[in-house]
Amino acid sequence: MIVQRVLSGLSALLLATGIVQGVRGGWIHAKAGLAQVLLHHSWERTQEGGVEEKPWPWADTWPVARLTLPGGGEHIVLAGATGRNLAFAPGYLDGSSKPGGDGTCVIAGHRDTHFSDLDMLEMGQIVVLEDEKGRSRSYRVVTTAVVEERDTWVITDNEGPTLVLITCWPLDSPMPGGTQRYVVWAEAEER
Amino acid sequence: MAKKTFGLVIATVLFAVPTGLFAQEQQEPEPTIGLADVGQGSLLFKTDTPGRYVPAPVQSTEVEIAVRGLVVEATVRQSFHNPGDEWLEGVYVFPLPQKAGVHAMRLEIGERVIEGQIEEREAARKVYQQAKKEGRKASLVEQERPNVFTTSVANIGPGEKIGVRVSYQQVLEYDSGRFELRFPMVIGPRYIPGSKVTTRAKTGTGWVFDSDQVEDASRVTPPVLHPDQGAVNLVRLKVSLDAGMPLERLNCPSHAAQIEKTAGEVHSILLNGVPADRDFVLEWTPARGSEPRAAVFTEELDGSYYVLAMLMPPDDTFTETVRLPREVIFVVDTSGSMGGTSIIQARDALALALEQLAPEDYFNIIEFDSNFTKLHRQSVPAMPAAIDGAKQWVAGLQADGGTEMMGPLLAALEDLEEHTPLRQVVFITDGCVGNEDALFHAIHEELGRSRLFTIGIGSAPNSHFMERAASFGRGDFTHIGTPSEVLLRMGEFFAKLENPVLADIELQWPDPNTETWPEQVPDLYAGRPVVVTARLGTVHGELVANGVRADESWEARTILSVAPERAGINRLWARRKIASIMDQQARGVPEDEVRPKVVEIALAHHLISKYTSLVAVDVTPTRPTDEKMRTGAVPTNLPAGWKYEKVFGTLPKGGTASRLYLLTALIAIALGVFVRQLRGVV
Repeated sequence: MIVQRVLSGLSALLLATGIVQGVRGGWIHAKAGLAQVLLHHSWERTQEGGVEEKPWPWADTWPVARLTLPGGGEHIVLAGATGRNLAFAPGYLDGSSKPGGDGTCVIAGHRDTHFSDLDMLEMGQIVVLEDEKGRSRSYRVVTTAVVEERDTWVITDNEGPTLVLITCWPLDSPMPGGTQRYVVWAEAEER
Repeated sequence: MAKKTFGLVIATVLFAVPTGLFAQEQQEPEPTIGLADVGQGSLLFKTDTPGRYVPAPVQSTEVEIAVRGLVVEATVRQSFHNPGDEWLEGVYVFPLPQKAGVHAMRLEIGERVIEGQIEEREAARKVYQQAKKEGRKASLVEQERPNVFTTSVANIGPGEKIGVRVSYQQVLEYDSGRFELRFPMVIGPRYIPGSKVTTRAKTGTGWVFDSDQVEDASRVTPPVLHPDQGAVNLVRLKVSLDAGMPLERLNCPSHAAQIEKTAGEVHSILLNGVPADRDFVLEWTPARGSEPRAAVFTEELDGSYYVLAMLMPPDDTFTETVRLPREVIFVVDTSGSMGGTSIIQARDALALALEQLAPEDYFNIIEFDSNFTKLHRQSVPAMPAAIDGAKQWVAGLQADGGTEMMGPLLAALEDLEEHTPLRQVVFITDGCVGNEDALFHAIHEELGRSRLFTIGIGSAPNSHFMERAASFGRGDFTHIGTPSEVLLRMGEFFAKLENPVLADIELQWPDPNTETWPEQVPDLYAGRPVVVTARLGTVHGELVANGVRADESWEARTILSVAPERAGINRLWARRKIASIMDQQARGVPEDEVRPKVVEIALAHHLISKYTSLVAVDVTPTRPTDEKMRTGAVPTNLPAGWKYEKVFGTLPKGGTASRLYLLTALIAIALGVFVRQLRGVV
């Protein structure tokens, strides 16, 4: 009888845990997906108005670019590669060259949401980045690498207009907070 | 998995050859290697051809230091090895003691030795560049800061080894009854303020661009290896110590050195191959009763006498004096370079200092990294509640970010309200910045009635900054190398803060035309001796020193004619003269006026300075003119106790726990269902 009760309790506890964890995990994906919808709206307003349009009233960031990956993935990029921003969208690293600029533009994204397919990018494929003013620029993927988080040379040691996409590695690791990064370098095509 | 292997290999590639420096060597493709050809652990640097790399030069150092009485004579032999199969120029940026007078350099090629000549900096560089172009072996040693030097060695053949031997002299530090010999081995990565200048080629081979505030930034920032990549630049160091007095204590707090007593009071201290990742520190305390009261050495050269004199004010003048209330502003560096063990030492030191304050004192604390924060808007009385609050605040300090030192320095020197007769600013930092001169100038301009003290933290502090900042601030400095030293060193430091200074020090020499350096002996804090150098026409007579401490006058005399002769005292005198002239620049004298004076004295005494370098050139060319040469910066270690990521930053993160949540959800639900089933069975 006691065994039965213990097992009932345990089963209920496990199921509840399952639901809670499912919601937490799902929420991250829901947030990432939903945010992109809102962001697309604010992106269109940005394009029309030509000013920084906040995607929701309390946001402390705004869309700065639209990134189109060859597989059809299309992401609005937010200003600032902070943990909070990356939950909603890929983030543009402050201090790196502006999208469409002459230096290295760095965009980071979460490996389990927006950048989950980053390793599908192959050399020679074209990534398109559209800036706030609606100007598009094509970048050809030249190389990819797995590096350590301290390897800041991936950002600093490039020549010419370059787009660097960064996400956590391994892509399918369940644990957050690893020290490895997956990096894609793409060089701007002649305009 | 190919990607992953690439990543691991590329992580060992660390430094880029500055473009444009070697334009003449880039016309045709050269034999370089691809990453696939590299074995594990190779140190490579990039070429201008993407994906091609060449091996970096390997450097090791042998140091021999002879201490006799007050004077240190040292030779540092740097050996450069070219592990690759093409010609190489090795560039090694390295530290020496900030008061070292470098007077000789020899280029050693196998059995052959070529003596270096002193030249004006540009002339020396021209001689070196010419030899480099012609394929002749050459070496050049230049001074970037009083404690940062660069050795360049041209035309090291494939597989070849070349030695460069540098000799210097210095005067020992004596403080609080203890002698200290400090030999720095690594330059702590310097923070460079200002915006980078990318419009012209870098002046050096460092990891940063030159900036508008630090024009030679790339010359003082040698590439730094991540500790995971292993240690480089092995040092073998031997000290022969003839203290000239019985010792109570002799120890090496920085390393596990072998210490042996050889003959009489002579000791031999040996380090057998340690990585260059911290200052080597040797300390000794004279036995009770044999503490030096005065020490004088002379040298006769070209009709003049050069004198080095140390005079120790006696302790017993420290009789009961009235402790004056003071306002103390603590400035603590919480930048990334303070990460690791340094921030712990800084917090401990600060907590101790806070306890030392009396209720009639005033205090404030400023912490800084890229920005600065004051604990209180202005100084508050040091009442117990305020001290407790401050200690809690200090305990929570974390190290991160840049080292923007000017703002907090000016804020600390701003004398808002005269609460107390004394005002003391205590700077707790590793001094790892590249804009020392600008900071010295600011201290000189803004000091007012404040006195500035520095506490150097960590395994490889910028001792030049510590010493000169305290000198311009008319205060004193101390070093805390390890957490275990905090208590002892802070104790000595409080004695300096709390006891009256020995002021108005005047010297009388037997010759009225004596040229003394420093010209004006600074005020002395507890535990410090008077140390001066002089050039005079005769040593027949006495040196008389007098001064005033807390209304009591002090006088000391020493007879010069009986002082022992020592070769090289003229260089110590010249080195101090150069330091004093260089200080004038921070006081606002234009460089055009300072430079010729320094060049004259440096050339006359064969000394390296900011404006003079030593250069040695082999006679016959060894590199065939049709073979190319590349430049490789020698990588350096991260100082012991530092955290690499705190200094050099990291790439943005890109992962969440969503998969972990979903995975645990799945497992929990599966288990839950299983347990439910189980219940039916039981």
